[in-house]
Amino acid sequence: MDSLVLELSHLIKRVDAHPLQMSLYSQDLLKIPKFLERFIRYPICVVQPESDKEVKAVLKVSRKYKVPVVPRGAATSAYGGAVTIKPCIVVDLTRMRKIEIIGKKAVVESGAVWLDVENELNKQGLALRVYPSSAPAGTVGGWIAQGGYGIGSLKYGSVGENIEWLEVADFDGIKKVEGDELRNYVGLFGTTGVILRACLKLRDNARIDSVAIKTEFEKSIDLLDGAYHGAFIDLKLAKMLGFNEANLLLLSYEGEAEKERDRELGSIMWENRFNLFRAGRDREIIFTEAVLPYETAPDFFSKVEFPVEAVFTKDNVVFLGLIPVDNYYRAAMKAIKFVKIAERLGGRTYATGMLFPHKGLADFAKEYKKTVDPESLLNPGKAVENNSFSRMIKLTEMVL
Amino acid sequence: MNIREIAAKCSRCGYCTTCPTYRIEGWETVSPRGKIQLTLKYLNGEINVDQKVVKDIFKCSVCGLCQEVCPVELPLIDFWEELRRELVQKGMAPLSVHRKLREITFRNYNPYSGDQERRGEWADFEIKPAKTLYFAGCTASFKLQNLAKSTASVLNKLGIDFTIAGKNEYCCGSPFLRTGQKDIVERLFEKNYRYWQKAGIERVITSCPGCYRTISLDYPRIAEEKGYEFDIEVVHTVSILDKMGVFERVNITAKATYHDPCHLGRHMGMYEEPRNVIRKLGIDFVEMERNREQALCCGAGGGLRSQFPEISFEIGRQRVIEAMETGAEYLITCCPFCEYHLSKSAEKLGNKIKVVDLVEIAERLISP
Repeated sequence: MDSLVLELSHLIKRVDAHPLQMSLYSQDLLKIPKFLERFIRYPICVVQPESDKEVKAVLKVSRKYKVPVVPRGAATSAYGGAVTIKPCIVVDLTRMRKIEIIGKKAVVESGAVWLDVENELNKQGLALRVYPSSAPAGTVGGWIAQGGYGIGSLKYGSVGENIEWLEVADFDGIKKVEGDELRNYVGLFGTTGVILRACLKLRDNARIDSVAIKTEFEKSIDLLDGAYHGAFIDLKLAKMLGFNEANLLLLSYEGEAEKERDRELGSIMWENRFNLFRAGRDREIIFTEAVLPYETAPDFFSKVEFPVEAVFTKDNVVFLGLIPVDNYYRAAMKAIKFVKIAERLGGRTYATGMLFPHKGLADFAKEYKKTVDPESLLNPGKAVENNSFSRMIKLTEMVL
Repeated sequence: MNIREIAAKCSRCGYCTTCPTYRIEGWETVSPRGKIQLTLKYLNGEINVDQKVVKDIFKCSVCGLCQEVCPVELPLIDFWEELRRELVQKGMAPLSVHRKLREITFRNYNPYSGDQERRGEWADFEIKPAKTLYFAGCTASFKLQNLAKSTASVLNKLGIDFTIAGKNEYCCGSPFLRTGQKDIVERLFEKNYRYWQKAGIERVITSCPGCYRTISLDYPRIAEEKGYEFDIEVVHTVSILDKMGVFERVNITAKATYHDPCHLGRHMGMYEEPRNVIRKLGIDFVEMERNREQALCCGAGGGLRSQFPEISFEIGRQRVIEAMETGAEYLITCCPFCEYHLSKSAEKLGNKIKVVDLVEIAERLISP
């Protein structure tokens, strides 16, 4: 594959094929145990395009050599979307990070970090409607490719609902997609195209006012009206994060808080909205996520035995479980069981990625994938295609 | 925690990719997260590191921003220094320029090739014995002598009975601790410590945050390892100005901003003292976007400027631009090395902002 690297080096300024660099670009946030590392294949090289032209050049080389491309943002998702399972070209988009503010919309390149975007917008009196809890590191393209909910989703819904249009690159060139077409890209982990930039819907930068309420999960749901963001943490997680050992509901409002509760704690919880990883200070944890309808969310909550956060969204409740790791395999079993319980209650896994393509969340896009990527070169084995990891998870689910 | 335990606790969240060097270089091998993962594999015997990776490990000013943003609260400043020591012990470092600086310092007791016999020549006053020592440091002794003179003048005006060590002052060793070369630091520690003992020094005042951090944090550790007592109070000049300074208020309207030196801020937690002094001086003050714990490094520390000047000056350029964006005409700092580097960076940008040390302003306005 020397010729591939050589050709890319002529076309793109930033190319690296150092073996240790490749080891770093073969994984993301997902913790992969030793015995499963055999399914990982190091990339042939990593490219860092700085323009649309360079992305198009990578795709041309990918098709010529029939070598897959794996798009990558900050690799802060734990679904393995950026894990390399075939010899491939990793397309690290973090050098494409321009932010352009046009009226009340922002056109942002894929590699821009969410918190950088928010800071730039704030200078203009504007703000993001939604952003991920990994905003200090997560990229715009990365979160869109994963799909899902975050800060602000109680009022504004999922990331997909807050995109005006996307520009994506595939083997036919660059296209602009909007409206219903967006569903073929949001949450598809780059399996249908490389996201180049997004036009984001914004809100005025009204001051966020937060309150904390000590309450039970069931009662939380009745307190959400009018809030911009709502998140519940159970007493185990509250303790791990250094708050009082109590079930806590954070309610954040655009403008004055509508409820007279603990403003000081509310403010601290809001300031710490990106710091869930702090729970891993004293012992290793792994994350698991599930999406539940409001109707069955209390039942689900009652069945969870480990620390949990629930993020309330416009349509449903996203549960994030934090499983302390004494034995990795037992913890992984618990993570899978978490999703299984959710499914029994009408819920689903939060995202697909490398772990859950067999869940069928993205099956609607299989035909589309075939039309734009007939040779399956765009992040193969993810979202709409199974792989060794997902087959093992499927087998595990059968015995649980 | 040893470095293996620290590395094993990394959650790979990527929050540390705010690292100024990574933001410029862009490759995972330069990101704190990437370096930590490679360190773990290296310590577990899974990989061998080569010179490319070693160089990438040294592409870091040890500014401590990664430690500040780490949600798992990993002690990353100690981690980088320990990792660099490990690489030196294994013969994979020091890098060429760091080695050269070590050789120079072995000969001259400072990394600037200054004549040690003339180290105290900046002093334009009679030197008398005292229990308080003003430790000027290498940069103020050889490069920015006005700072040394201003500091001495301030101490005199405040009625502090102090002495200087002159040719008996030796580099504190900070550049070598940050680059993993502990052997020479031990030698420098011995030289300084023995003189201080002989001179009956009870308090050391420094105007350099690098010296301040080294003498107050690292020297007691070295002393403990050697079985020595270390009962010396260490103070940075800005603390003295904050506690004792009474000033005539400045009567110019020029706006100024403040750059937090990493060794004074994130390494030592001193953020408010310089701001208090700036307020007392009546300066029209404006903060930069990134300040205090989140401040951007000047780019000079940790051996970055000497070994990787292009990265170092790019960080310096970014910091000066951030200062200029506030509309300030003066960029105040409390560190001779930051002042030196930011001045050079400002020069490259057409000298649109003047870089000054707080002590030098205070010296002019302090009430006698």
